[in-house]
Parts: sequence; C-alpha cells; structure tokens
Amino acid sequence: MSTYNMTVPIKEEDVRKLKTGDIVFLSGRVNTSRDMGHMKIQSMLSNNETLPFEPDGGVIFHAGPVVVKDDGQWKMSVIGPTTSIRMEPYAEMVGSMGVRMIIGKGGMADGSLKAYNQYGQVYLQAPPGCAVILGSYVKKIENVQWFELGMPEALWEFEVENFGPLIVTMDSHMGSRYKDLKEKSYSLINSWYS
Amino acid sequence: MNKVANRVSVGKGIIASLIRGSCTSISPDVFELLKKARDRESFAESASIMDCMIDNVKAAGEAWKPVCQSPGYPVVYVRFGENADLSNIPGDFREELVSATKEGLLRPSIVHPLTRKNPGDNSGVNVPNFEFQFEPGRRDLEIIVSFKGCGAELGNVFKTMTTAELKKDYSGLKKLVLSAVAEAGGKPCPPTGIGVGIGGQMDQAARLSREAISTRNWSDINPDPMLADLEAELLEKINALGLGAAGIGGDTYCLALKIGMASTHTAICPVAINFHCWVARRSGIRILEDGRTEIILGKEV
Repeated sequence: MSTYNMTVPIKEEDVRKLKTGDIVFLSGRVNTSRDMGHMKIQSMLSNNETLPFEPDGGVIFHAGPVVVKDDGQWKMSVIGPTTSIRMEPYAEMVGSMGVRMIIGKGGMADGSLKAYNQYGQVYLQAPPGCAVILGSYVKKIENVQWFELGMPEALWEFEVENFGPLIVTMDSHMGSRYKDLKEKSYSLINSWYS
Repeated sequence: MNKVANRVSVGKGIIASLIRGSCTSISPDVFELLKKARDRESFAESASIMDCMIDNVKAAGEAWKPVCQSPGYPVVYVRFGENADLSNIPGDFREELVSATKEGLLRPSIVHPLTRKNPGDNSGVNVPNFEFQFEPGRRDLEIIVSFKGCGAELGNVFKTMTTAELKKDYSGLKKLVLSAVAEAGGKPCPPTGIGVGIGGQMDQAARLSREAISTRNWSDINPDPMLADLEAELLEKINALGLGAAGIGGDTYCLALKIGMASTHTAICPVAINFHCWVARRSGIRILEDGRTEIILGKEV
C-alpha cells in the first residue's frame, strides 16, 4: 500500500501503477458529472459534438455540490461523492473519453472494471457524507456548464489541492474491493443459511 | 380551562429551526454510536473514514453548513390527538424548505420524477412527505423532521414473502436482509442504519421500515422482546460480513437495525428493508398542552 500525490492531467502509466488499497491525494482540475451529465455527454458524442470540457487525462467526480453565489461568483460551500453505480451504464463511454480517474462512493460493477483495465483508469472512494471536509480542498470554481439541469446535475469544473485521502478501491488490474467483499459476504450468508 | 386553551400547534419559528438544525448536524444518538464504532474499529481504512466523518460533523456545526451536500428526501412525521391544530403545518414546512434552500443550507435536489426538471428550490408535488399519525387521546403534539439520504434508497428491497419462504426459524427473512446488505455494499454510505418493516401490506411494510430507522433512537431497545432479539441478531450478522465503513472492509457496517411490525394476512409476509446513511439528519420536538417544548430527537434548536 502506497500513498501518491498526483496532479491532473494524469498519465495512463501513472494510473496503471495504482493498486487497490493505495491512497491518492489529488491536485488540479476536477469535473463533476452524474446521471444527467452522463446522459447528455452520451448524446453529444453520438452527434459528434465537442464536449464543453477536456476529458482526456481528467478526473470525473460523481458529485453534486452545494454552491453559493458571492459577488456574482460561484463559491463552493460543500461537496461529497454520490452513489456511483448509477453511472455504470456509461462505463465504456467514460473509458473511451480518456478519463483517468473516477471519484465516487460505493464502487461500480464489472463493466467499469473491464473499462478500467482496457483504458487505464482507477476508481477512488471518497469519504462518504464528508462534504464540509472535502469542500474545503476546493480552491476555486472555474466553470459551470448545463446549469439548467439543476445545481446537482450541472457540470462543475474546479481546482482542488491535496484533495483526499482518496482510496483506490478499483484498479486497472481487475482488482475491486467491492467485488471481493460482496463475494465474501455471499459465501458467509450461504454458510449460515442453507 | 376552556377547549381553545388546550389546543396544541407548532409555530413557524420552530419549524424553521427544526429544518435548519437537522441539515447542519446529525442526531446525538447516532453520533455517539459512530464514535464508539470508531474506537472499536480494527481496520485502518475504515477507522480513517470514520475519523473523517466525525471531523466533518464538527466542521459542519462550526461553519453552520450542510453536513452532507445532498439533503436527501424530507419527511415530516406528525403525531397528534384531537386537540391539535395542524392547519399551518403543510404550508409552513414547504415555505421553510424553500427558504433554507435559498440560504444554501439545502441543495436544491427535488425534481419531477419523469422530466427530471429541477425547480431549484426543493419545492415539488407532495414534498415534503408528510405522515400525519392520529392517536386518539393524545394531548401533546410531536413533530419529527428527517432528511433521508437517497443514495441509501438505492439499496432498498421489498419482497412479499410467503410462509414457506419465511421459514419456521425466519431464516428466509434473515437471508433476505443479509443479501440486501451484500448487494448494497458501500452504496448507502455505511456505517448505516437499517429499518426493516414486517407485515401489513406493501405500503405499510415500506412505511414501517422507514419510520423505524428514521424516528427511533438508534440506541433504544425494541419493547417487543422477540423483535429486540431479531434486531440484535441481524445487526451482529450484518457486521460480521465485514463490509465496514464506506463498504471497503471493516468491523462496523451497520450502527443500528430497527424493526417495525404490523399484523398481516395469512397468505403473505411483506418485508421492506430500508437503508439509512450515517448522516442521520433529523430533529424532533414535543409540544405540550401548556406550550412547553421538549426535544425528542436531535439537538436543542
């Protein structure tokens, strides 16, 4: 188990070094996207439209912040991870976009694990429900797209500094903490009840 | 005393405080259980996650900020008798939810279920979810506000079991609960609370499961000894699965499991399993006939 300080944009070779159980502190640009954002990205890509952010080497944070407007500028109040499994149908798309890291909670499924292996990505578990602490690592909101989707679903782009600790729970080598624990759980349940 | 003097009601100021107090803190019973679980935790990652949770609760209180970015879904439980005046409750709650949203204490998170359009102020059809519970002879008025995280809702399970599926030792029910936990894993923001509603019809079991984990003190003991034993057994077995905080491996996945029960029809046994995240934002107040108030859940408002 190792601890890494990493800066966006992230290189594929650096992602491939990471293994389940490693800790990452992240600096640089992070983009949020969740249900509606992924759906809209999919629709734009299928129409060959240009995305309003640079996914290559980037980080997608499954999150919807609480932001407040101060002097005409958006300021981060709090932000934390949302349940990632909802974005599982877009695993292949996100992989092919060149996104290197996905931050969320609760993990993703086999389609994502396959994409992480194929494209060189990792899944990082953020401490869930810790929005005040995580929000304090956001230095500046750089941009917001698709605000008409609502505050949670809009695409927020911001700079973070030493954002973490983020735990690598799914890696590019088919390792998944969630999958291991689920299998262990079922084997226990089946040993208790026939 | 004349009849009018005996009437009980809740003022808008109390409603405003209940909402704001709930979303900026977690109820003390849950906070105590979280701290105890942290002290017992033998897995370093799970312990560090719980450290972060404990720090986060303190930071939210100091900064008067939402504990979690997601306010979840607002539910208001109203327990009343013949002497209660409830006429202002729906309107005042709706107004105060919108006001707290404008203050940045609640993220606007309520959307149309089909179009997904977000009005931007947490207003919406049938929001908040009110449960008016009439209890004949009751002289006081109890109001409990609960903001229940919706990532947790993704783990919820309902099944209409049969007598054969339930089995004589209820092992069918126990397996259903444990399988729901295995499937939910880290999705509901563990360490969780879990409500189990048993009996009635589909909607009753679902309501009981939510009410049990949303309104009971997570440290209480079920007055029904049989249900108390079942709660303890399920809690122990759930934690023995080893899923831990955030569902990444550890000793404590579940802080409390609470069962609500209703008698059912001889043909069925409806069972609802309802996950609650660790961020137990809820406040409750009892208003007495003489106007005095008592805190029944959450902190002083």
